[in-house]
Amino acid sequence: MSKNSKKFYPNYLTYPAIVLFLVFFGIPIIAGFVMSFTDWNINRLYEPKWIGFKNFQYLFRDEYFLLALKNTVQFAVITTLFIIVIGLILALILNSMVFWKSTFRTIFYLPAVLSLIVIGIVFTSILKMDQGVFNQFLTFIGLGNLAKDWLGNPDTAFDSVIVMQIWKWSGFAMAIFLAGLQGIPKEYMEAAKIDGANAWQRLKNITFPLLAPAFTVVVTMNVIGGFKVFEQVYVLTGGGPGNSTQVLGTYIYKEFSKGLLGRSTAMGLILFVLISVIGVLVNKGLKKREVNL
Amino acid sequence: MKRQSKEKFTKLICTAVMVIVSLTIIIPLLIMILGSVKNPAEAQQFRLSLPTQWHFDNYAYVVKEGGIARAFWNSTMITVAVTVIVLISGSLCAFIISRKQTKFTAFVYNLFLLGMVCPIQIVTTFGLLKALNLTGTFIGVICVEAAMLLPWTIFTLTGFIKNVPRELDEAAFIDGATPVRMFFVVVLPLLKPIMATVLVTTAMGAWNEFMVPLYFFNTSSKWTMPLTVYNFFGQYSSNWNYVFADLVLTALPITILYLACQKYIVEGATAGAVKG
Repeated sequence: MSKNSKKFYPNYLTYPAIVLFLVFFGIPIIAGFVMSFTDWNINRLYEPKWIGFKNFQYLFRDEYFLLALKNTVQFAVITTLFIIVIGLILALILNSMVFWKSTFRTIFYLPAVLSLIVIGIVFTSILKMDQGVFNQFLTFIGLGNLAKDWLGNPDTAFDSVIVMQIWKWSGFAMAIFLAGLQGIPKEYMEAAKIDGANAWQRLKNITFPLLAPAFTVVVTMNVIGGFKVFEQVYVLTGGGPGNSTQVLGTYIYKEFSKGLLGRSTAMGLILFVLISVIGVLVNKGLKKREVNL
Repeated sequence: MKRQSKEKFTKLICTAVMVIVSLTIIIPLLIMILGSVKNPAEAQQFRLSLPTQWHFDNYAYVVKEGGIARAFWNSTMITVAVTVIVLISGSLCAFIISRKQTKFTAFVYNLFLLGMVCPIQIVTTFGLLKALNLTGTFIGVICVEAAMLLPWTIFTLTGFIKNVPRELDEAAFIDGATPVRMFFVVVLPLLKPIMATVLVTTAMGAWNEFMVPLYFFNTSSKWTMPLTVYNFFGQYSSNWNYVFADLVLTALPITILYLACQKYIVEGATAGAVKG
């Protein structure tokens, strides 16, 4: 068979995908390790000079870069936490429902397929100062004094971006949890019921452990997606007001637009290392936990 | 009796929660849809009300002034090209990875697994396209987007093909088929459901992609739908009726695709949750 398998399943069929991936994804990553240490500039595209760690020294003294780094981490952590909790609650309720189950699922999942640009512009209208729906709603329920220019205010602009991300991805998490829940055999629950386990005990001792694979998928995807944040900020606040909502994705674009290719590559490298290390650690850690449960 | 009424009450609360959550999703979209057929003054108020006069002409205006026709064509072309490239090269690669256990295939699998985690190094990608003379071209953007979408496709397909029996492969080989022919005639038809999932997901990813065209297209004649609508919003930010009409046109193709192929989309996304 091994001889046959060589003939039947030739390696060359993998080459188109590998070449495409290595050239347009792999080479830029490897080049990033080199160009981060140069003064590469749009005006001297083919004559970058080696400057050692200067880009990194500059960045870690740049308060806006540090703010962008902090915002990015905060964004990934907070959105992931909320998305897990909301997605899980929605999935648990939906799983116990008989009617309208698929209708609700269709509605909750819809934001996940819509373009962030479309969602972002709709949210811009909702969060507007004068006539925005959110302020209208606050006035309607008698909290009109809380109404403010949500995106124009440094204290609330970043929260607004976070809320939009949660709005977009909670339904996606719900769908994954729901698939996990539907994979749990009904007999388990009935046996536990007969043994006198109450609802909370059944949830804690049967549902949660068996949901571990779904949990791994949701956490890994949302943490990685959170670190990659770009469009969300770009369309809602453009990094402002001031630089208060700047994240790594938008700050890279800003420095890139100035033609500072070396410096923006260095930031890209920091983002790359951050995501790769955290993504692999989170996934490995959760997978190990799955086995222990 | 008491217990039954308690259960009923819980059910009522649950349904109420679900309805409220649904409204937080539907109301923003409804404001967009209603606003797209209002006059400028009414659209500006962002009310959840029917227009006093229906202005379907907003759509005609947006199509004419917003460069929608060209953007639609650009988006369609990029999406089709990316999807075809990713599906063909990805399925062939996944086929070999899942049929053969060698050091090479293990390496390829891990390579694409890494690609699912890693972010794109966008600035050096710009440098690469510049060096290849591909900046500002459709080919450049198509190749970069295809490379970004390949890992997920290969990962999903590999998991599926493992469960497709090999016996048919062997029968085809005995009949003297070449590997490529065998894949397209024998294996591919068995992959229909998962290919539908991969097709729809890849197409949505390419259609909604914003960052890659933003970095690599400097002329508006090449812009895709999301880029065009963002730029239109910048120009017409006081004419919300037009902005909303433009948004509806951008979201419509994906929403229709989603409602029609919902089964494949959700199943594909959730495949990893059950088996882990």
